[in-house]
Amino acid sequence: MSKKYQEEYEVAFSPRLVMEEASRCLLCLDAPCSASCPAGTDPAKFIRSLRFKNVKGAAETVRINNILGAICARVCPTERYCQAGCSRSGIDKPIDIGRIQRYITDFEDALKMDILEVKEDNGKKIAVIGSGPAGLTVAAELAKEGFKVTIYEKEAKAGGYLRYGIPEYRLPNAIVDREIDRIVKLGVDIVLNTKVGEDIKVEDLRKDNDAVIFAVGYSQGKMLDMFKDNRKVIKAVDWLKKTKIRKGNVKVPENVLVIGGGDVAMDVVTSLKLLGCPHVTDVVYEQFSEFRASKKELMNAQEQGVTIIDGYVPVATGRGGIVKFKHRILPAELKIKADLIILAVGQVADVDGLGLTLEKGEVNVRGVRIPDTNMFFAGDIAHGEKTVVWGVRSGKEVAFEVKRFLGGKK
Amino acid sequence: MVRKDLSITFMGVKFPNPFCLSSSPVGNCYDMCAKAYREGWGGVVFKTIGPKHYLIDEVSPRFDALTKEAEPFVGFKNMEQIAEHPLEENLADLRRLKKEFPNQVLIASIMGSNEEDWEELARLVTEAGADMIELNFSCPQMTSHAMGSDVGSNPELCRKYCQAVRRGTKLPFMAKMTPNITDMCDPAVASIEGGANGISAINTIKSIINVDLDKKVGLPIVDGKSSISGYSGKAVKPVALRFIQQMRMNPKLKDVELSGIGGIETWEDAAEFILLGCKNLQVTTGIMQYGYRIVEDMKNGLEHYMDEQGVDRLEDLVGLANKNIIPAEELDRDYIVYPEINKDKCVGCGRCVISCYDGAHQAMEWDKDSRRPNCNHDKCVGCLLCGLVCPVGAIKPGERVLKAGRKEKNLKKMVLQDTMEKL
Ligand SMILES: Cc1cc2nc3c(=O)[nH]c(=O)nc-3n(C[C@H](O)[C@H](O)[C@H](O)COP(=O)(O)OP(=O)(O)OC[C@H]3O[C@@H](n4cnc5c(N)ncnc54)[C@H](O)[C@@H]3O)c2cc1C
Ligand SMILES: Cc1cc2nc3c(=O)[nH]c(=O)nc-3n(C[C@H](O)[C@H](O)[C@H](O)COP(=O)(O)O)c2cc1C
Ligand code: SF4
Ligand code: SF4
Ligand code: SF4
Repeated sequence: MSKKYQEEYEVAFSPRLVMEEASRCLLCLDAPCSASCPAGTDPAKFIRSLRFKNVKGAAETVRINNILGAICARVCPTERYCQAGCSRSGIDKPIDIGRIQRYITDFEDALKMDILEVKEDNGKKIAVIGSGPAGLTVAAELAKEGFKVTIYEKEAKAGGYLRYGIPEYRLPNAIVDREIDRIVKLGVDIVLNTKVGEDIKVEDLRKDNDAVIFAVGYSQGKMLDMFKDNRKVIKAVDWLKKTKIRKGNVKVPENVLVIGGGDVAMDVVTSLKLLGCPHVTDVVYEQFSEFRASKKELMNAQEQGVTIIDGYVPVATGRGGIVKFKHRILPAELKIKADLIILAVGQVADVDGLGLTLEKGEVNVRGVRIPDTNMFFAGDIAHGEKTVVWGVRSGKEVAFEVKRFLGGKK
Repeated sequence: MVRKDLSITFMGVKFPNPFCLSSSPVGNCYDMCAKAYREGWGGVVFKTIGPKHYLIDEVSPRFDALTKEAEPFVGFKNMEQIAEHPLEENLADLRRLKKEFPNQVLIASIMGSNEEDWEELARLVTEAGADMIELNFSCPQMTSHAMGSDVGSNPELCRKYCQAVRRGTKLPFMAKMTPNITDMCDPAVASIEGGANGISAINTIKSIINVDLDKKVGLPIVDGKSSISGYSGKAVKPVALRFIQQMRMNPKLKDVELSGIGGIETWEDAAEFILLGCKNLQVTTGIMQYGYRIVEDMKNGLEHYMDEQGVDRLEDLVGLANKNIIPAEELDRDYIVYPEINKDKCVGCGRCVISCYDGAHQAMEWDKDSRRPNCNHDKCVGCLLCGLVCPVGAIKPGERVLKAGRKEKNLKKMVLQDTMEKL
């Protein structure tokens, strides 16, 4: 079947199929799945609800715990989290928890269910910087508790990498819109096109609010020195952003070289293929046995016919899009000439003008609050894994701490 | 978040919700009932308590399950009798439960072998603090013929024992009926006339569910032998619903309060019993298979259903379906509904064609090239067997037509089934 960039790659469950999948669930005691979601989701409970015909109850279970439930359902590396210890693996393979959650949240949307409740206004104001998963979650959690929350976002639309990073075929922006609408409905204000540190000072936010939360993520792609000022080179996150904004209407050359082997690289190569690029070559530093990309994304890339070469590092560049590689271990060399070179070698934070100090990419204090201030931080810049669900976890944790911190005042 | 009040008054006692453990091993002792209360059950019918002189001696193993295709458990067979624990211990458990869970309902189930037993047991459980009593007239595998379903199929014994119980207690009590009878109304009417305040139904159905083909004996096997004994679980729900409806339609029983039992696992099952007239619901097999936790989704699902139906009191749903179950001779036989095939949904398996040919009227034709069915209206009788077997729900009730020579009527205004799918 030919797949398209603008269509979800993974087919949704029908009511019958989701029931078949739920029927595979063993309804475990002390369910391992429920003990291993970073955001505290209880899959065993919502699968049981589904199994016992209470789909609305299942939707409540998902949504009350995770304001980004429909997004996590699509982008979570479930093989590492809830599905990792699934007891069903003792028989055949884990329950497809992500896809079940997607069915449940689609159902919630189809029925326009209104699940969340907001407590009375408590008179306290919060500013959140950044509208990625961490910023959205902390804002929603605090809004539910009665805080007046404003998010400041430098881009023209909210969502961080949900909107501008993860490609349409994995996470349609229509889904991101729906999740954000729900958050706005809780009373959260989102101020767009406003870069904190440039358009507005952190000091001013601190004065006007009871707490300020940094959730600025890793908003820039990394560059390798040898590719600086090379006109054939673009950073992966910049290419993905452009492609998603233009709904896939971008010019795709004949022959593209991608460097990197993580999930971002997989997103680039698969997007290229779905957009009709005939020759996509991905050269990866790691060898297959140590690949960082999720198995599923790697499989999708391979299914789409991407050429993946493992174990090579770029060592030099030549004119007209030439890159020379050396094998990390073997005495082997490789030379590739491409029309376009996309670098997917990691992302870094941009904390200019924010007064934050990072160490190995993370704010260098213990806990989630900068000592002796009303400033907190969440998401990729906080300690932990760099995934959406960790953003949710971190957002929930910071909301809890903010509530505790401000509990006594006013 | 949906929030509806599930409380309902049954036989004069207010239940926080209608869901109760039915009398069986699921409510065998203090610990079990306490756990069930904590997990949200509205009430407990404690395991049937017998007279001191009747000694219980159980077999092992004592259960078996009927399976079908990938379903592990559509029906369940048991060869268990009544409480194994000594009378004093059971009474002590009742006392402690009532003391620690005053807001949830405690129902004692009792069974005697003569009038003295019944009166005495009623008195004892009343003293122990039960809120109401259930009389077990219905266990089909008692080792004494003076007890169990032999009593429940004899209206005179039911009347006599109800009268005895009335002498022993002022509490409301219900008589639990056996389905091993043609007309349940007879013993039910006799029980009410004997003083019962309500009826619960059903207990298990006499059964043999599997035969071991090598050993040539029914399952479970007890030293090479087996017995006819009680069948329960999802598979018995249709039988239970039928008895409930028949009692509701009986002029002498129409106002009698009913507790529905038999195959309840989901809120949908529960809602069916309620719509057919039950104010109270009891469960065993679902709990034995899945645990007390099933009550969470039964409660939450029922709240959502109330929300969809726009009712605030569960009472308002009780019995709404009774009037729509009518004698077969009164059904409208003037029209046919033809199957409507969604050719995009169809995956081309041909099951509808096979079933229509071999089990209906050879109306579903098969286009070999496109692998798609087509209904020939000249032959189709509108039984819709095809819709029930289609694995993807591609067939639903479609065009309706009046049979030749019938009086003109507005088919659009009639209430018709709109899907064959059960999901
Ligand atoms: C291409 C790609 C694919 C990914 N795929 C997955 C996946 O499938 N599953 C998964 O779990 N994770 C995935 N990730 C990782 C995941 O997206 C991140 O871990 C997550 O988005 C981090 O959330 P965050 O809220 O910390 O930051 P971000 O999502 O980066 O959001 C930060 C926001 O802050 C804004 N901002 C930054 N500075 C300022 C400022 N000074 N003023 C105002 N606003 C500012 C940014 O514009 C941005 O909107 C992927 C990442 C990328 C890049
Ligand atoms: C193992 C087992 C033991 C039972 N013991 C009793 C009992 O002691 N007293 C009684 O009234 N009913 C007894 N029952 C019948 C149940 O209470 C109930 O009426 C029947 O199982 C139908 O409901 P279900 O389909 O929810 O199981 C027993 C049922 C089972 C399966
Ligand atoms: S661990 Fe797997 S089988 Fe067990 S409850 Fe969770 S999803 Fe079901
Ligand atoms: S409705 Fe009955 S007769 Fe008609 S096509 Fe279907 S199975 Fe055949
Ligand atoms: S049973 Fe359903 S899927 Fe199979 S051929 Fe008939 S309509 Fe198609």
